[in-house]
Amino acid sequence: MKKTATILILSCILFLLPGFNAHSADSSAAQTSSSDELDYMNDAEPQVIVADPLFRLNSAVFEFNDKLYFWVLKPIAQGYIAVVPTPVRRGVKNFLHNFGSPVRTVNCFLQGKMEAAASEMCRFVYNTTFGILGFMDPAKDFPHLNPHEEDFGQTLGLFGVDNGIYLVLPIIGPSTLRDSLGMVGDYFITPTAYIETNALAWALKAEEAVNDLSFRIGEYEDLKDAAIEPYLSFKDGYLQYRYKKINQ
Amino acid sequence: MSTTRIRCYTLGIIMLLILTPILTVGISMAASPLEDLKIPIETVLSLLKDTVYKNPDQRQQQRDKILVITRKLFDFTEMSKRALARNWKSFSSLEQQQFADVFADHLSNSYMDKIQGEYKDETIIFLNQEAVSDGKSLVKTKIQRQTKDIPVDYSMYSVDNQWRVYDVNIEGVSLIKNYRTQFDQILAKESPAQLIERLKKKVEIKIGN
Repeated sequence: MKKTATILILSCILFLLPGFNAHSADSSAAQTSSSDELDYMNDAEPQVIVADPLFRLNSAVFEFNDKLYFWVLKPIAQGYIAVVPTPVRRGVKNFLHNFGSPVRTVNCFLQGKMEAAASEMCRFVYNTTFGILGFMDPAKDFPHLNPHEEDFGQTLGLFGVDNGIYLVLPIIGPSTLRDSLGMVGDYFITPTAYIETNALAWALKAEEAVNDLSFRIGEYEDLKDAAIEPYLSFKDGYLQYRYKKINQ
Repeated sequence: MSTTRIRCYTLGIIMLLILTPILTVGISMAASPLEDLKIPIETVLSLLKDTVYKNPDQRQQQRDKILVITRKLFDFTEMSKRALARNWKSFSSLEQQQFADVFADHLSNSYMDKIQGEYKDETIIFLNQEAVSDGKSLVKTKIQRQTKDIPVDYSMYSVDNQWRVYDVNIEGVSLIKNYRTQFDQILAKESPAQLIERLKKKVEIKIGN
């Protein structure tokens, strides 16, 4: 009798200790996952597959972009870094990013993300005024005003529009039919699209591209280096990235 | 007779009461996935910052030390299985071993290049951990850069009381899934041996540099 009672008490004490439970859970988990058949074929999220009927053209453009990067864009960006100090580059980045605010606001709104739309609008007003036309980013100090990188491609995706086919665009890089159409849509609500002089509009576009690149030199090289088949790696990377953004 | 027995039990209980807190501490040290990720990564970062290795001759030594840590943190065999998925079974056991070895070298190289070359003003913030399922966990981190934050999530699983990484997700892109797409298409045209050869060449070029 006494023996049983003691065992009971002992097991009660042991069971009530949080560490003991954690330990038993830990060891059982270790047992299941150390088995050879860890579910290595199953993933929670499905693989995004998009047809690539224009493969030949796409890979030609992919090659072209690669050369363009190494021979033209990268040297320009490196020269730009040498001449333009970092705070100025950051200011330019803020300024041009602020111009993208109408696009983000409209797309938040279209996707029914009302709170995000409001905070994006708030951010635009705040940075345009207190941030001196957006060159500064005082809104950075308010985490709830963080930019919501929404675009029309994502809006279409949310509405159930399929990726269509895979495309590699000159200069821009990986895209799909849907996302390319999205870019056209976004273009019309970007303030810089309404600059009357063509030369200025193009100069601004070029400046944006080079300035953005100046912060990302080396990223392309790393991704390309890590890939066994760069074309496939960039295609899959783009599709995964967009899938995640649409389902956010 | 029975009194001695009771005394024995009482003593036993007292001993246990004293010992259990000590035992519990011991168990909880076998710790959280976040800790198991944070400690090795911070060790790697401090190795990278260490001025002892500034001399180019010391670079290899530094690399070797880092490799010891990353090989423990990352389960490269598991990553190989997952990257090959259904193709894993069509590899002979020798090929599986060869593949896992060379893929480990390749991943370590890309990872090392990434952090050895660029690690300047970046800080890594360890955000939180989410239990995915029994024995699996997702540890969320972000790399803080000058102009933006990059979310990096580590998928980890527990084996022998140690949390190890089996996938890395950067800005929503799973590394393993990305390799899987590539290997799937390569293996549709080439043999396992040819794929292993391609990886070997890639690793050799890197070491040659």
